[in-house]
Amino acid sequence: MSQSLRPYLQCVRSSLTAALSLSNFASQASERHNVPEIEAASSPEVLLNPLTVSRNENEKVLIEPSINSVRISIKIKQADEIEHILVHKFTRFLTQRAEAFFILRRKPVKGYDISFLITNFHTEEMLKHKLVDFIIQFMEEVDKEISEMKLFLNARARFVAESFLTPFD
Amino acid sequence: MASQTPAVVMDNGTGYSKLGFAGNDSPSFVFPTAISTKGPAGGAGGSGSGRPAVANKPSFLTGGAGPSSHLSAKRGTEDLDFFIGDEALTAAAGPGYGVHYPIRHGQIDNWDLMERFWSNSIFKYLRVEPEDHYFLLTEPVSNIHRIRKAFPLNPPENRENTAEIMFESFNCAGLYIAVQAVLALAASWTSSKVQDRSLTGTVIDSGAGVTHVIPVAEGYVIGSSIKSVPIAGRDITNFVQSLLRDRGEPDSSLHTAERIKEEYCYVSPDIVKEFSRFDREPEDRFKKHTVTYWNGRSVQVDVGYERFLAPEIFFNPEIYSSDFLTPLPNIVDTVIQTSPIDVRRGLYKNIVLSGGSTLYKDFGRRLQRDIRHLVDARIKASEARSGGAKSGGLDVQVITHKRQRHGPWFGGSLLGQTPEFRSYCHTKAEYDEIGPSIVRRFALLGGPGST
Amino acid sequence: MLLLDYQNVLIESILKDRFAQGPGSIDQVVSDFDGVTFHISTPETKSKILISISVKCFPELVQYGAQAVLEREYGPFIVAPENGYDFSVQVDLEALPEDQEAQDDLIRRISLLKRNAMAAPFEQAFDEFQHLQAEASKYTSEQAPQGVREGGEVRAIHYREEEAIYIKASHDRVTVIFSTVFREETDRIFGKVFLQEFVDARRRAIQNAPQVLFQNKPPLELQGIPGVNDSGSGDIGYITFVLFPRHLTNQRRAEVISHIQTFRDYFHYHIKASKAFIHSRMRRRTADFLQVLRRARPETEEKERKTASGRTFKVQG
Repeated sequence: MSQSLRPYLQCVRSSLTAALSLSNFASQASERHNVPEIEAASSPEVLLNPLTVSRNENEKVLIEPSINSVRISIKIKQADEIEHILVHKFTRFLTQRAEAFFILRRKPVKGYDISFLITNFHTEEMLKHKLVDFIIQFMEEVDKEISEMKLFLNARARFVAESFLTPFD
Repeated sequence: MASQTPAVVMDNGTGYSKLGFAGNDSPSFVFPTAISTKGPAGGAGGSGSGRPAVANKPSFLTGGAGPSSHLSAKRGTEDLDFFIGDEALTAAAGPGYGVHYPIRHGQIDNWDLMERFWSNSIFKYLRVEPEDHYFLLTEPVSNIHRIRKAFPLNPPENRENTAEIMFESFNCAGLYIAVQAVLALAASWTSSKVQDRSLTGTVIDSGAGVTHVIPVAEGYVIGSSIKSVPIAGRDITNFVQSLLRDRGEPDSSLHTAERIKEEYCYVSPDIVKEFSRFDREPEDRFKKHTVTYWNGRSVQVDVGYERFLAPEIFFNPEIYSSDFLTPLPNIVDTVIQTSPIDVRRGLYKNIVLSGGSTLYKDFGRRLQRDIRHLVDARIKASEARSGGAKSGGLDVQVITHKRQRHGPWFGGSLLGQTPEFRSYCHTKAEYDEIGPSIVRRFALLGGPGST
Repeated sequence: MLLLDYQNVLIESILKDRFAQGPGSIDQVVSDFDGVTFHISTPETKSKILISISVKCFPELVQYGAQAVLEREYGPFIVAPENGYDFSVQVDLEALPEDQEAQDDLIRRISLLKRNAMAAPFEQAFDEFQHLQAEASKYTSEQAPQGVREGGEVRAIHYREEEAIYIKASHDRVTVIFSTVFREETDRIFGKVFLQEFVDARRRAIQNAPQVLFQNKPPLELQGIPGVNDSGSGDIGYITFVLFPRHLTNQRRAEVISHIQTFRDYFHYHIKASKAFIHSRMRRRTADFLQVLRRARPETEEKERKTASGRTFKVQG
């Protein structure tokens, strides 16, 4: 793990753990409704200050807490065109399966690549620290996966090119 | 260019895949839905593994997908090293390759392997640039309806996964996914007995593993009434084999049993009479089957009563099975009787056969007679109860046609060549706009209003 | 599968079956790459198999000598083209060559119908190269007359709607240029990675391979050719293969022509195969993520719930 990654993830971890103090909170706007306030944004008094943790301009995390829900958005490192398209493909693939992921938001918040929405119901059903673990692990592995896919693509391209040209040799 | 190319029709079944181009009357390729990859069968390790293999692996301990697969991913070519179809079986017979079957019970079980299977089908066998062609794929009924407990839940996500592969990996120009039973109905339009090209009817689809009886009303499958019979081609083969064994024939391998089944079996109107006919004129009825081995040696196998006894297990299952006892005609009758009353007439009138195990001579005729008996008995009983009222009668018709063997494929070929086919497809542009959920709905091809 | 076959597998297998098993009726319309359509049928009798091909750019091919090439390959089997097709051959099962080898050769030749039709401009260019080479050897490079130094005309084959092959012979090389279009962003980027490796391969590993160049603007050779879009707008790429004299010898030319023809489809096939592999990776990684997330759910004991009468509930998925 590189020098700057560790503190970055550590910072996300503690900020996220702090943000995940959620309680059941019924909607103030409509009766008998219980909606994630961070999404509804109808009562400003239950929204907390959003927080951005950034490692550099290409990698950052936005944490938007509220009384009963937290929205976490991640901008994944994209050094070039190839990584950009791979990130796009991968996040699309994941959101396509959002149903299985419970906390995955189908659409990322603008300016980010992927977003999660954790509500008080999730924290009640699931272990909070494990959810945080998941997010952190996700961030770690997504980078790894993207660079591996890129390596694969280069290796494959080389192999394919050489195989085509070898018969001419 | 995409305006002239014929649509590609692919019917991937549990046992065999049928591939070809719309407009032809038979598929260009028919081969087992098998793929063989490096490494032992079932192990499915490395990149070829689908979700199930991953779930068992404590991958989080090794950080990701395990060090070994990373290494192989760097070399990065083993995913090109595979064979499909007959070549897969040949390769698996030698060392180094293991064979896998990506489709189980009609449904795609391993998407990784299926994606590669399609890739090879398209580029090696069909030789088309998918960007230039529209594709018609088939799916089993159970993709939409849950048929009893015997069938695993197959949610519309399966369609979406298919679309994801077809559009994102292959960039195919357009895609239509049709239900096999509906295509089997369309295939019967070639029969001279079919006057109106309706999509109402009962499909009897019998392949290697299971026989389904599927009622379809105006192109929509009546899911709640579907029934399946655990007797199909494989059972007939086994039955023939057991008869050969009982007689102590010199060769009673499964392969020989299958050849005998395909070459000599037929359906008799009445087994008792058939037995006596065999005894009366043995020289006509009894046959000899010659099995030639690879080393040139050959033996003669007698073929006797199994000629008509084997397919008889559809009509008298008790001669073969002890736990399944309902004859096929009764099943068909029940299926239609449990369907909505306003479509029953249409269902009786258009009973369509499909699949390899319906090809026995006189299978359709016997089925029609038996169903008619059941129907007539019921009508007579209700006439008696009503005291003098006369019923107008009910038309029972079983359609046998030339394209039965690859019914769903042929139906796809028929519909895929119609001029309006393309307008029923979802195109790549639509997919890019809306996403995979677009394939949850398809307009009904060949339904009312189309030619 | 790594390299694409040169021959059409279906024609090959149909003919093999028919040659071995005797006559049977056939009627199949099948596609091949690059918008080629075949019609294999037995119109008159079951023993006479008619194979027709329709190629989008057939007029161009004829202009570059396709007729001669096809006549050389199929001589006695050629029949008048079937309606709607460009070229037809007919095989009579009752008049097959006797020995097995000749039969196999016939099957092979017919299954290479597309390859042979497309080969004409290549052959012409290769011939021209030999001619120019002989001419050029008479002069030093300064004194060479205009025609020899410049090389011959550019042969354009518009084999697909938006894509074309250009072939140009000079006295020391034959240049083959493919123009290719990417309809999709992912393909474009993947394609770029692949093409970069094609360009680099020669430098790195295979010194004797043809030189490969890749650019988004039409190369110099194509300037002034009608139909070439000079604007250099992003979607079209030009891949240039420079074939050197060692590739153009008589022994090797058949293989080189077959091989280079498959370039475009090979290239697109591998882009798609890599996308399929990346899909596999993503599936695996997604499963891993799900596993991690599942650990967040505390182990709850699944207790079977019963009604008073002892019936159980089934959770409907």
